Amino acid sequence: MQRDVSDLQSSEASEISAGMPFIPFASAPAGGASETEAVELSINGENYRLTLDPRTSLLDAIRDHAGLTGTKKGCDHGQCGACTVHVAGQRVLSCMTLAVMAQGEAVTTIEGLASPEGKLHPVQQAFIDNDGLQCGYCTPGQIMSAVACINEGHANDDDEIREFMSGNLCRCAAYPNIVAAVRQAKAEMERA
Amino acid sequence: MLQPAAPEPRQNQGQPAPRIDGRLKVTGEAPYAADIPLNNFAHAVLVTSPISHGEVTWMDFSEAKAVSGVLDIVTYGDMSGVKAPKYSNSTSTSLAPLHQKTIVHDGQIVALVVADTFEAASQAASLVRMTYAEQPASATLDSPGTETIPAAGVSPMYPEDLKAGDFEAAFASAPVQIDAEYATAPETHNPIELFSTTCAWTHDQLTVYEPTQNVYGFKAEIAKQLQLDPKNVRVVSPYVGGAFGSKGPMTPRTAIVAVAARRLNRPVRCVVTRMQGFTTTTFRAETKHRLRLGASRDGKFLAFSHEGTELTSRIDNYVVGGVDTTSRMYAYGAVASKVELVKADRQTPGYMRSPPETPYMFPLESAIDELAYKLDMDPVELRRLNDTHKDPISGKPYSSRSLMECYDEAAKAFGWSNRVKAPGSMRDGDWMIGWGCATAVYPTHVGAATARVRLSADGTADVQSASHEIGTGIRTVAAQMAAERLGLDITAVQCEMGDSDHPPAPVAGGSNSTASVCSTVLKACEGIRRRLFEAAVRSNDGPLVGKPIADLDLKNGEVVAKDGRSQKLSDVFKILGAGMVEEYAEFVPEGAPADAVHSLYTGKSTFVGGSHGKKLMYAFGAEFVEVRINARTREIRVPRMVGAFAAGRIMNTRTARSQLMGGMIWGMSSALLEETQVDPRNARYVNRELQDYLVPVNADIADVEVILVPEVDDEVNPAGIKGLGELGNVGTNAAIANAIFHATGKRIRHLPIRLEHLLEN
Amino acid sequence: MNRFGYYKARDTGDAVAAAAAHAARAQFIAGGTNVVDYMKLDVLQPDRLVDINVLAKDVHGRIDVTSEGLHLGALVRMAEAQDHPDIKRDYPVIAESLMLAASQQIRNMASLGGNILQKTRCQYFRETSWPCNKRQPGSGCSALEGINREHAVLGTSPACIATYHGDFAQALIALDAIVSTAGPNGNRQIPFGQLHRLPGDTPEVETVLEPGELITSIDVPAGPHTRRSHYLKIRDRQSYQFAVASVAVALDLDGDRVRDVRLALGGVATVPWRSGEAEAVIRGNILDERLAAKAAEAAFAGAEPRQYNKFKVPAGKAAIVRALLEAKAMRI
Repeated sequence: MQRDVSDLQSSEASEISAGMPFIPFASAPAGGASETEAVELSINGENYRLTLDPRTSLLDAIRDHAGLTGTKKGCDHGQCGACTVHVAGQRVLSCMTLAVMAQGEAVTTIEGLASPEGKLHPVQQAFIDNDGLQCGYCTPGQIMSAVACINEGHANDDDEIREFMSGNLCRCAAYPNIVAAVRQAKAEMERA
Repeated sequence: MLQPAAPEPRQNQGQPAPRIDGRLKVTGEAPYAADIPLNNFAHAVLVTSPISHGEVTWMDFSEAKAVSGVLDIVTYGDMSGVKAPKYSNSTSTSLAPLHQKTIVHDGQIVALVVADTFEAASQAASLVRMTYAEQPASATLDSPGTETIPAAGVSPMYPEDLKAGDFEAAFASAPVQIDAEYATAPETHNPIELFSTTCAWTHDQLTVYEPTQNVYGFKAEIAKQLQLDPKNVRVVSPYVGGAFGSKGPMTPRTAIVAVAARRLNRPVRCVVTRMQGFTTTTFRAETKHRLRLGASRDGKFLAFSHEGTELTSRIDNYVVGGVDTTSRMYAYGAVASKVELVKADRQTPGYMRSPPETPYMFPLESAIDELAYKLDMDPVELRRLNDTHKDPISGKPYSSRSLMECYDEAAKAFGWSNRVKAPGSMRDGDWMIGWGCATAVYPTHVGAATARVRLSADGTADVQSASHEIGTGIRTVAAQMAAERLGLDITAVQCEMGDSDHPPAPVAGGSNSTASVCSTVLKACEGIRRRLFEAAVRSNDGPLVGKPIADLDLKNGEVVAKDGRSQKLSDVFKILGAGMVEEYAEFVPEGAPADAVHSLYTGKSTFVGGSHGKKLMYAFGAEFVEVRINARTREIRVPRMVGAFAAGRIMNTRTARSQLMGGMIWGMSSALLEETQVDPRNARYVNRELQDYLVPVNADIADVEVILVPEVDDEVNPAGIKGLGELGNVGTNAAIANAIFHATGKRIRHLPIRLEHLLEN
Repeated sequence: MNRFGYYKARDTGDAVAAAAAHAARAQFIAGGTNVVDYMKLDVLQPDRLVDINVLAKDVHGRIDVTSEGLHLGALVRMAEAQDHPDIKRDYPVIAESLMLAASQQIRNMASLGGNILQKTRCQYFRETSWPCNKRQPGSGCSALEGINREHAVLGTSPACIATYHGDFAQALIALDAIVSTAGPNGNRQIPFGQLHRLPGDTPEVETVLEPGELITSIDVPAGPHTRRSHYLKIRDRQSYQFAVASVAVALDLDGDRVRDVRLALGGVATVPWRSGEAEAVIRGNILDERLAAKAAEAAFAGAEPRQYNKFKVPAGKAAIVRALLEAKAMRI
C-alpha cells in the first residue's frame, strides 16, 4: 500500500481544537524548503514519502512527519528507551537514528503491532492483563522492546527478562508487572 | 517470585478492574499533550542561561536568525502586557524570566527560538549569543553567601513550629538518647514524558496543550499572566506521561510559548530537552535534620525533637515542613520541632512525590532503628510500644490508624522472625545480607470536586471531571464508582478527564484525586438514581409503582426492588421521556470553606484532612526490605521488598497495588540512586541527563510484594477512601538504610547511599 | 545540530575517499549511538557524514573464529558478537564486556569499531557551556575541581580527567587485540594498546587515527588464557550504566599458579587501561586472595584521585581482587 504524506501539514493532519486558524502550508515561510530532501520510509508496511531536513531523527520523522505519535520522546539521547522501534526486525532507538539512514529498511512502530482488525498483539494484551504500565508514556517503547526481547530469545527466565528489558526506563516503576507481562506473552507466542 | 498484578479483594476493597484506558496506552493511541496533532505548528526551543547568578549584558541573534526556517525569537522586551506570576500553589515560581535580565538560577530561560522545524529551532538556539556579568552563586545548604530564615510563617504551608511539653527537660533526663544528624539529596522528578507546551490562538481565545496535574489551575494562571478572561482559555491534558509533582504548578515557559504563538499567529509547540527540564521546572530540595529521641530503658519514648533545614530559592519561600507529620507519629511525650529555610541561588523547589514525608521520615525511622539497637529491642516491637491513636501535639484522635496491623502482616510475609539480629551476621556467599523496616505514612487529603455523569437509555454512562490521569488509574476508579452506583458493567462507562472544559476537579496532588473524584461521582450517581427511582415509583403503571425509594437499587441495567421485582432501565427512561439523564454534582468535604467550589472554578484547590481537622486523617504502612551488598565491591542491591498498607476503602486492588509498588521502588531509588548534583563553585547542575541522574532499571527490581490491609474509615470522606499514591515511597529510604546497617554495621545518615560509603579505604 | 552533507559510502575505498575530501570535518557514522548523540549536543559538528553501514555487508560484517584467533569485522554489531557461541566459549571476557554495556537496543545498533572510539560521557564535556579542554582546547577542565565522582584516577593529566567509559575496549586491550584500519595513506595495523592516546596536554586528540582513517576489523590472537577470561563491571545500577569500575582479566593457570595473566581496568582511567603492574605481581605466582590484593595495590599505585572519586581506588582494588578470584574459579 502506498501512501503519500508530504508532511504533517498535509491532509493527514487533523484539527483538534475547533476554530483553530488554518494557515495553508504555502503561506508558511519557505526558507526550509530548499534545504530539505526527499526521504522514503517504510513504516508498518506503508510507504511514506517525506520531505525532511537531513538532520531529522527517525523519531521526529515518525512523530512529526508521518504523524505516528505512539512512539515517544523521553530523552532524545539514547538514555531511556521510550523511542524504541523495530528497524529490519531489530529493536533500536529511533532518537539515535537519522531518518535518512533508515531508508530501505522496514520500520515497525507501536501502531503496527496489533492486527489490522484491531486484535492486540499478545505483548500488548499481556501489558493490560498484568498492569505493566501506569502513566503509559514509556509503554510503547516497553512493548516494542518486549516483542523483540521475546523474538531474540532473551526471555527465558525472569532475570534474563529483567536484564534485557533494562534499556527501557519506567519512572512509574511498573517493572515487576512488565516482567510478568513478558513472561505471559512469551508463553502465548510460543503456543501460537 | 512475582506477585499477581490483581490481588484478590479483601474487606472494603473493590474489584481489580483492568484499566479502562489500557488499550489506548498499549496501542500508542493515548494522546499525550505533545502528540496532539495541530495544523501547521511551529517548533520552539528554549535557550537557557549557563550561569546561576548575574545579569545578561549583551545579546546577538544575527547568527540564530540566519538559520533557514527561523521564524521568531522571543526574549527580553517581548513580554509586554504579560504579568509576572505570583508565587502560589499554581505557579512554580514568582520569576518572570524574560521580564528582566537578572539571572537567579542555573538554566534560566533567556529566549525562545521558533522555527519551521525542530532541527532549525535547535540549531538556532545554539547560535543565540549572550554575554553575562556573572556574580558569585551560593550552591547549597552549607555554601557561603546563603541566608537562613525561620520557616514558620513565611509560607502558608508552614504556619508554626510544633511543640508539646518541655522537650529539653524531658530529653535531658531520658536514660537513653539518640542525637544524630541526617541529610537528603536534591532530586529531580524526571517523568519520562518531556515537559512541553503547545499554544494555539483563535483571535483572543487561547488553547494550551500541556501535560499538567492541574488544568484549572493552569487555566486561571495563564489567564492572569496574559490578562485574558479565563473563559477564553482552555487547557487540554488528556494523558500525562508521569508527573510526580513536577506538572502541578505552571512554570514560566507556558506564558512565553503563548506569546510566541500570538506573535506568529500560528500554533507553537515547545518540547523541553531533558537537560533543560532539570532547570526550568521545580525539584525536590536537599534537606538536613537534627533529630533527638529520648527513651526509657524499656523503650518508651519520652522526648522527641526534629529540626529540619530545607533549601529554597532567593526569590520564593518553598517549604515542606515535614515535622508536621513526624511530630505526630508516635506517643513521644514531650515534642519540639523547628524548620529553617536556606536561601541559595537555585530555582524555586517544588512538590515531589510525598514532599514532606520522603525527606522527613528518613531521619525519624532511622533514629528509631538506632534506638532499637541501642536498647537491644526488635524495631517492630519498639514501634508497637510507642504506637498511638491520638496526636501527641493536640490530643486529637486519629480517624483510623492500622499501623501495627500493617507491621504484623508485612513482617509475617517477609519472614522477619527469621532475622539474625546482630549486624553483619547474615550472609550468602560473597553477599552480605541485611534486613530493615520502617513506617510509611501519608496524610489523607480530600478536596472539593465536581463531576458530570450521564446515563443513557442504552445503559452506557459517561463521566466528565477535569481530573488528571497521571498513571494512577483515576479514569478506571471513577468509572468503577459510576458502574457500581449505576448498576453497569465498567465497560459501559466512559470517562473524560484532563480538559478545562470539563467540570473542575482538584490538582492531582497530595494523593487526593481518588477520594475527591470518587466522592463527587458518587454524589452525581446518587442524583441519577434518585431521578430514575422517583420516575419508576411515581409512574402510572409498571412493576415498581408505589415502592419505597429506599428499597430500590440499580443492577445489571435494571432498577430492582428488595422484593425482587425489577424494571428495565430503558423502560424507566421511557417514563422519564428522556434518552439520557445527566447530573452535575459538587462535592464539598466536611470542614472545607463554603466557597470551595467557587475557588475550584477559579483554579484553586482546597484540601481538608491530614492534621487539620477534628481528627487526624492519615494512611499508614509498614515496609520491610532485604539488601544484598557485595562483601568486596560493596554495590548495593535490593532483591526483596514487602509493604503492607492500610488506606481505607481500596477502589481497585490492581491499580492500588501498582501505585504502592511503584512507590516502594521510588523509595528504593531515593535511598540508593537519585541525586541531582550541584557544582559547588557556581550552583549549576551537573548530571542533567538520565545517564547520570540514576533511576532504577528493570534489573534493579526483583520481588516486590504489596499487601492491602483491610481498613474501614467512614470519617475521611463519603467514599471512605484514603489516597495512597504517595504512601508507598515514604519510609522505604529508612528501611533500606536500616537494612544496610544490619548488613554492614555501618549507619549511613545521608541519602543516597552509594557503594563508596560502604567501602573500606 | 549543524547542517551536514550526508553520503552513503559504497565500499571501504569509497568511504575513505569521501571522508578524505572533507579532511578533518568528515565523520564516519555506523550505528549512530555515539555520533548522533554528540551531534545533537553540538559537541561533534561535522560538515559531512559518511555512512559506512554498507561495509557490514562485506567482510567487515563478519565474525570468524579460527585457531589463530578471533576476527571481528568493525561493522559487526555489539549484540551479534555478545551472543556468538564461539566467542562466549573461547573469549568470554569479550562477550561479557559487550553484554554488560549499554542496553540491547544500543547493542543492536552500535558497531564494534564505533564502540571502541566512543567518546567520554563526562558531563562537563557533553554540555557545551562548561569549559572543557577536550571539547575546546585551552578552555580549562571543569572536572578537576568539580563534581568528579565519575572521573578517572589513572592516566589523568592536569588538562583532563575524563573517563574512557567503554567496556569492550578493556577486553581488547587485555587480550592484545590488533586493530586494522583503512585510510588515505593506505591500510595499517595498530596494536590496541597504542590506539588511544593519554590526554596529556592535548586531550582533544583521543587516538592515533588520522583524519579519514577507518577501523575495518579487530583481531584477537588465540592463546591459552582466553577461555579463562572474565569481565567484572561494578556500578550503582544493576544494568544500563557506565562502569564505576571494571576489570577485564584473562588467566592461564597451572593449578593455582598463574602461567600468564592479562588485566585491564575500566571506569577508572582516561583510556583503555592495561595494568602491567598488576600482571607483573601475579605472573608466575600462586593466585590467592593475598596475591590478588597485592596486584590490586600495584595497579593503583599511581592513582591520582580527586575530591569525589577517591573511592575509585578502593573500589577498583576490590574489583581486581574479585575479578581475579572469579576468573580463577571459572569452570572451563
